[in-house]
Amino acid sequence: MNVPGLFHFASLLREVRAPGWRPWILGQKHFSLPRAPLLQAGGKKNSLNLLGLTEAELEEQFVRGDGPGGQATNKTSNCVVLKHVPSGIVVKCHQTRSVEKNRKIARGILQEKVDLFYKGEESDVFKERRALEKKKQEKKRRAREHLERKKLFKEMQQLDKK
Amino acid sequence: MRGGVAVAPVRGPGPAASQFQSLSSKSLRTPLTAAQQEQIQQLSNKRLERMPVQYVLGEWDFRDLTLKMRPPVFIPRPETEDLVSLVVEEESLMHKKNSGPCFPVSAPHPVILEIGCGSGAIALSLLHKLPQSRVIAMDKEEAAVDLTRENAHRLQLQERIHVLHQDVSYGSAKQLLLWGPVDFIVSNPPYVFHEDMASLDAEILRYEDLDALDGGDDGMRVIKTILALAPSLLKDSGSVFLEVDPRHPDMVKDWLQAHPNLLLVLCAVHKDFCGKPRFLHIQKQSR
Repeated sequence: MNVPGLFHFASLLREVRAPGWRPWILGQKHFSLPRAPLLQAGGKKNSLNLLGLTEAELEEQFVRGDGPGGQATNKTSNCVVLKHVPSGIVVKCHQTRSVEKNRKIARGILQEKVDLFYKGEESDVFKERRALEKKKQEKKRRAREHLERKKLFKEMQQLDKK
Repeated sequence: MRGGVAVAPVRGPGPAASQFQSLSSKSLRTPLTAAQQEQIQQLSNKRLERMPVQYVLGEWDFRDLTLKMRPPVFIPRPETEDLVSLVVEEESLMHKKNSGPCFPVSAPHPVILEIGCGSGAIALSLLHKLPQSRVIAMDKEEAAVDLTRENAHRLQLQERIHVLHQDVSYGSAKQLLLWGPVDFIVSNPPYVFHEDMASLDAEILRYEDLDALDGGDDGMRVIKTILALAPSLLKDSGSVFLEVDPRHPDMVKDWLQAHPNLLLVLCAVHKDFCGKPRFLHIQKQSR
């Protein structure tokens, strides 16, 4: 089936970009521009202290196919491509059927990546992941020990029978 | 299958899963049964006949809601999600202005009229997002009225919505004023220019209700009807929010200026997520 233009990007620049490139000092907190709303970390990320992103530093693109859009189109592609201009980090989100949800999720993912980028090991994202990793290792270690003890117990039982 | 990550709601052993993310890792590894494969074949055949994915699956998401879809009722487009956001933002602004000791906070607010409700996407999203709101939704097609009611029941929102089977072009304002003048009129009216109808995709032409799309020669037939009716339905400073063709903003501005007796003014044009002028915010001036 020929589907010309399905993946043609419709570019969208939402806000005027800040002039020039602002040098970022690692670990410095970013202050939002007065008129642009601060991006809130959503859902489970509320407990993490992440750098805020403003709409002014983001560039959004959508895969919607070319053509008039709106009623005249019924393509289901609603992939969001979101770029954080100062760092150059780009994320894609096509997780749900709703454009609005994909935008929210993309912002959440981007916020985590940007935080990691600037804060490195100081980032709550990094710390949370390391903690999860540790938990997993602990679980594995305990499971292994448990198996060992069971094996040992069985061997003892065999010896007792003899 | 096109787009999204939707997976056909294949019936079979294990919990029902309508989307990829909700499938357990076990069911992801289990090979499909013959019955499931047959079912997929049936669904794929429908898609090969150019049936839109949303009709093949029988459901689709709109903002936070999952709605039942059924041909020929118009399938909500992703752009329209932003139309809902605009109404919600305006309501929050109006609410801040009006709240105070002398304002009856207990009264339902806002009261919204939707013209051409289709599957109920806009109406039900607004009810979901604005817990104090009430909606009067109307459509000239019985199939749309039925589907909106069905979706309202599935989402347990039926107590706050009245769905009317009525054609806005041939009714009177009276029947729509059951809760008095409304705070908002919202609509995604048919706005395709008649000459553009023939070039629409087969998915649309073969399966969707074309009356939900065809706006007449200039695409403005229903838009004009709504705007002509708006002053008798709206409270002072009430708003009309419309989704339109990108060519319409200037045309609507001119038309409103040519009909000053309506006391309606175009106060904002908003772009959709592809950068096209798509949404009109029109306000009723107080006398």
